[in-house]
Amino acid sequence: MRVEYLFPEVCHLCGDGMNIRYLRQCCPELEVVETSLKDRPAFLDSTVDLVYLGSATEQGLHRIVAALLPYKEELIRRINEGQRMLFTGNALDVLGEYIDCDDGWRLDCLGLFPTHAEYRMMRRHNSFFLGSFTDGDFHTDVVGFKSLFGHTYGAGLDEPLLTVERGVGRQIGAAVEGFRRKNLLATYLTGPLLVLNPPFTKWLLRQMGADDRLAFEEAAMDNYRRRLEEFRDPHRDPMY
Amino acid sequence: MGKLRFLLALWAAKLSIPALKLTRHNGTDFPGHLAVRLCPDFLRYAGKPPLIIAVTGTNGKTTVSNMLSDALETMGRRVMTNRAGSNIISGISTAFIRNSNLLGRVKRCDIAVLEVDERSSPRIYPHVKPDFVLLTNLFRDSIMRNAHPYYIADILTKYIPASSRMILNADDLISCSVAPDNERVYFGIDRMDSDVTECINLIDDVRICPRCGGKLTYLYRRYHHIGKAECLDCGFASPESDYFARRVDPALLTMTVREDGAYYPYSLHTDSVFDAYNTVSVVAALRQLGYTHREIGSVLRQITVSSSRHSEEQVGKVRLVRQMSKEKNALAGSRAFDYIAGRKGRKELLLMMNCLGDTRHWSENTCWIYDADFEFLRNDSIVQIVCAGARCLDYKLRLLMAGVPEDRIVCEDDEFRAAELLGYTPGDDVYILYGTDSLERAYRVYDHMKELARRSAGAEEAEA
Repeated sequence: MRVEYLFPEVCHLCGDGMNIRYLRQCCPELEVVETSLKDRPAFLDSTVDLVYLGSATEQGLHRIVAALLPYKEELIRRINEGQRMLFTGNALDVLGEYIDCDDGWRLDCLGLFPTHAEYRMMRRHNSFFLGSFTDGDFHTDVVGFKSLFGHTYGAGLDEPLLTVERGVGRQIGAAVEGFRRKNLLATYLTGPLLVLNPPFTKWLLRQMGADDRLAFEEAAMDNYRRRLEEFRDPHRDPMY
Repeated sequence: MGKLRFLLALWAAKLSIPALKLTRHNGTDFPGHLAVRLCPDFLRYAGKPPLIIAVTGTNGKTTVSNMLSDALETMGRRVMTNRAGSNIISGISTAFIRNSNLLGRVKRCDIAVLEVDERSSPRIYPHVKPDFVLLTNLFRDSIMRNAHPYYIADILTKYIPASSRMILNADDLISCSVAPDNERVYFGIDRMDSDVTECINLIDDVRICPRCGGKLTYLYRRYHHIGKAECLDCGFASPESDYFARRVDPALLTMTVREDGAYYPYSLHTDSVFDAYNTVSVVAALRQLGYTHREIGSVLRQITVSSSRHSEEQVGKVRLVRQMSKEKNALAGSRAFDYIAGRKGRKELLLMMNCLGDTRHWSENTCWIYDADFEFLRNDSIVQIVCAGARCLDYKLRLLMAGVPEDRIVCEDDEFRAAELLGYTPGDDVYILYGTDSLERAYRVYDHMKELARRSAGAEEAEA
């Protein structure tokens, strides 16, 4: 069982790295391959059960795009072949066509999805999120947080990862959140998504062909149930 | 029109001061808040003293600005500060209101030492142009407000005036990147016995060369990204310090500062490395103002440094310790956990760093918990951890992930009941960790802990 953590030297904000730590604790035999910005990603040439890319600084996003652009066609091919990938936080934005920032810069991205992101650097968006994830007969609630400089626009309701119950989807007012194309899962939710969502993590482990027993499962479930209850509380506004 | 509006705002704000005194609200930012409401560019028209020093940065800015203003006052300068209020525009405006006459001209003061919140730079620096900006360091702070330290560095670079001379921490490559075209001097601390080369912290924000993206090599590293680094690919390296603290001796509370090849002795106030950084940064600032090392050394021995973040007292048979660990701030948590784990003796901990303000109408973003080094609490000297408040289950899960044995962890929503679950075993140090947001409740819980510690000691004696 192998997980590839892409570019940990820049993709380590918001506690995102704990997704990998948790998978390793759930699955002690897991091998974690850390690929740096200057290396060729391992999943292009060998079997990798999950590729992970987490949140980065804006400069980090520039570096990620520069690192992945030479492999764009191979990346598209691997996604179409069903490579399992998880992108969290603003890592999602590198999949779109470009990022437009009110600070005066624009970053042309990988263009895998017909979307673009708009950043407002002095108006940080903070909210909590409650949505649902469905895969065939499997259905679960997903909780998380958003702490971002912007949103993504342009894809309508196509290829969603999550359906919004409370909080903000791809942009304010959107009914869906994130993207899913075959086994590529991308969400704006930041931080320890897998730690906060044990049912979703169990599903992911099963998809990877692993035993779906979780580390500290009871504590994780207790925490998940409490958060679900809080996020459903109508007296709490998802927007910070 | 602008000036007239300013004067009206100033008079209204000045009138509010006696009203606030009468209603016992003295010391708030209300005058500044009112002035800025009435005149949004109030600071533009406010009279300025001949010299302005801004102190900014993630950690240590309050202590450094207090040390600096105390030192200057001791040396006979008339100093304007915002220490009575906040470090955002309302607090700084209040300082100008209190130190100006009815025409808005500055009175009495010949120098201003202003603590400035980094995020408030866009509202302050267009109107208040510091002669010097002392930047203590840049770390991750609230994910929600400050995103990441490079974001803050960009804000500072954008808004600090080109004329401001920078006083920067050479051991912090993020700070060093701020306002690259401004004149600058650096302070830093030489390798210490406790330094390492590989990062042992989760937060490590300077892993690659800012110039070429190559992997940085650290010659020594103090904590997180603080240390001395170089890039073997392109030759980039941390800058040399103009004011370089060496032979920092936490036991003797002494250090020397090297400047231009000569060494000068200094005293420290506490055994923490933060005090050494604070002191050498103040030395750098005062040297920039022309004071001699002899004068600075003498005055620093006279001033006291108070800490609102840590206090301890013997109560019954335990030592009770209040330790602030700012909520939503992974760095603060990591530093507090590291400090506690490194102290001698058995410890019992009560964690209540929840953001109480978020509890009622929102739900705290807990991502920061996963950036904080809870791993330091996996230490046999920490015999019990009571997790309190709305986020107690989050703490428990994070502690388990950090490898803390489950039998040492207890959860309780109610902070007062949580205090009752501590052991108060004779000889133990019993800590309460709290944030700025939970300050008032934390003090009440602490009083309850005192009562429990006394009761526990009484029961022990009765049994004996």
